[in-house]
Amino acid sequence: MTAAVSTPGASSSTVEKVPLYQGSTQYRHWRFSPEELVHTRVSLNAAAVRVIKDAFEADSLGSSTAVAFLDANEENLLVKLYIGKVSQLCGHFRFPEEVEATAVSYLKRFYLKNTVMDWHPKNVMLTALFLATKTTNHPISLEAYAHHIPKTAPSDVLELEFLVAQSLGFDFAIWHAHKALWGIWLDIQTLPDIRMDELRDAYDVALKHVRESRLTDAELIYTPSQIALTCFSLASPSLASAWVRSKHTPPASPPTPTSPPTPTSPSPIPETDILELIEPIKSMILQYGTMPDVEAVREVDRRLRLCKNPEKIVGSNAYNRKLEAKERKAAEKRARKAALARKAMEEGDPFGDTIGPQDLDDDDDDDDD
Amino acid sequence: MDAVEKANAERQRRWTKEAKIGEGTYAVVYRGREVATGRKIAIKKIKVGQFKDGLDMSAIREVKFLRELKHQNVIELLDVFSSKTNLNLVLEFLDTDLELVIKDRSLVFLPADIKAWMAMTFRGLEFCHRNWILHRDLKPNNLLIGADGQLKIADFGLARDFADPGYKMTCQVITRWYRPPELLYGCRYYSTAVDIWSVGCIFAELMLRTPYLPGETDMDQLKTIFRALGTPTEEDWPGHKKLPDYVPIENFPKTPLRDLFTAASSDCLNLLSKCLIYDPRRRISAKDALNHPYFFALPYPSHPSKLPKPAKKDSGGHAALEEVDGNVDFTGSGPGVKANPPNRLKRKLSMEDGGSRSIARRLDFTAKS
Repeated sequence: MTAAVSTPGASSSTVEKVPLYQGSTQYRHWRFSPEELVHTRVSLNAAAVRVIKDAFEADSLGSSTAVAFLDANEENLLVKLYIGKVSQLCGHFRFPEEVEATAVSYLKRFYLKNTVMDWHPKNVMLTALFLATKTTNHPISLEAYAHHIPKTAPSDVLELEFLVAQSLGFDFAIWHAHKALWGIWLDIQTLPDIRMDELRDAYDVALKHVRESRLTDAELIYTPSQIALTCFSLASPSLASAWVRSKHTPPASPPTPTSPPTPTSPSPIPETDILELIEPIKSMILQYGTMPDVEAVREVDRRLRLCKNPEKIVGSNAYNRKLEAKERKAAEKRARKAALARKAMEEGDPFGDTIGPQDLDDDDDDDDD
Repeated sequence: MDAVEKANAERQRRWTKEAKIGEGTYAVVYRGREVATGRKIAIKKIKVGQFKDGLDMSAIREVKFLRELKHQNVIELLDVFSSKTNLNLVLEFLDTDLELVIKDRSLVFLPADIKAWMAMTFRGLEFCHRNWILHRDLKPNNLLIGADGQLKIADFGLARDFADPGYKMTCQVITRWYRPPELLYGCRYYSTAVDIWSVGCIFAELMLRTPYLPGETDMDQLKTIFRALGTPTEEDWPGHKKLPDYVPIENFPKTPLRDLFTAASSDCLNLLSKCLIYDPRRRISAKDALNHPYFFALPYPSHPSKLPKPAKKDSGGHAALEEVDGNVDFTGSGPGVKANPPNRLKRKLSMEDGGSRSIARRLDFTAKS
């Protein structure tokens, strides 16, 4: 869509100036074409089904044949339902819009790396929201948070925090469409002949559309400002195009519809192109910006109960087997470490020798005990 | 293993830990290397398990902002991975910090050296501010210095974004000696000017070789400031008497900066005075500071590689650290007296070169929240 990104690892001073947004992790790590997005979800789903099938088979041969696993669309449908729940929960806690929007982004990003068959969105949603309160600088104590959510203990929220943070690649900062919309709202007031009451109404409607856009994939494909402009255009096409026009012609000479962009214009993209560009975003918001049909989701959730990864179900055979393997490994590691320590003691220096690289490298316990 | 866990394990394998170089209440710092290149790095391991609210705010802030900021004068966060209940930040390894440089009495600063450090500080800070990030803890030992002499702003544990004007912020930030008067008066709405004040204090400290405004308590801090710069009048700083924690303080006269900074050029004092303007709205911005005549006048800033830095204790032969601890600097060119912290674990220290201790302390963002 835009110019190539500089490689993240390149530490040499870059001479060319890139817009701030292009330096963001959102731009660098979390932007997809519609096709990439489908591909990511389908292949993630296929890989998950393969793994879970194996887990079923390991438990009892042939047991996976009868299971109807969820497909990528069904997974997405379920996630979408819980995006809506984030919104409800934020209303309940009176969290600012930024917390809500951030939690929604986290939830979407999480399921680009994980499957609902491993981690149910009702749990992930709670952790994503709790993490969002912290990353947006609106922290609330875990106890108070869990207290207000039925059937939820603090540990339920914390258990997944690392997994969520890891899945996000620790990219906590999110650029939001509602902020971009606020920017348009401020900026458009500087245009001549703007009627404030009309503008205010348009802003309110546009904000509603921004909230609808959170139920869609828009933020994974388009920039916050593109989404914001789309929403503004949905609310008031005339105001939106007036604003776009103002960005592409010197304010001194009012443009004619046929006038080409002047050399002094801030961007080479003519107005019509921009307004065309937002067409697919418009239809995406109008088509998908609603809560999913509860009955359809209930059906998905019912099937999910049967195709959940047994290794993730506490108490199942597969879960216990995995746990045992993990503990065995940990015990081996402890034994190895004890042997090393004994050896060091026997070989002389009671304070231990200078710490060797291997010792520190694969052992993370050195300061925990 | 889950895909996310696998990716995490892969990231972990890209780095080795070689030696523990510091330990705080919440974090342990290791020196290590990038496996592929052999490049020196520092790994800051944050023990997350002990926080009852999960990932703590300062770790989140540091990760959130450093993930987004890539600039030659901001410390680079190379990677983040988790290990069990620990969060590991992989940071570029830096030899020393500005505090150690200032305190090393064997070093002589030329005006061009001070100009170079200030230019690098303002450059890094301008980048933070351009990205809507307030640092809120600038002081000499948060300005790290690499082997090539480049200065890098570090420790973003107190940083926050300020894109939302009118959002209340805490005034309990910035180490006291570097804290601007508006915060001492309890101002809850502030902006980039708070960081500029800190830079002004650092600027003065570079010339004086001792902290410029070392107040003993928060109350005494204001008095110390006013004693140095004169008690502000309503004209100097309109509205300051209405700040939440305003208290009248005796009237100190304004003494010209020239009286204290006898050797400084007038450009230099002009920029310093603009960093220390009482009214935050009139204080110079980082961008304007970079365009200040001081930076364009002779002498030009020293090349980073030519800047004075503490002698590497292990560079000129094999002087054991035990001997260096005896207050004799074998490799330094100066008078040869060093203030090394007494009673360190010498065996462990002998692994490292002297300056890295500062990193250990530096990276320990414990006491803040």
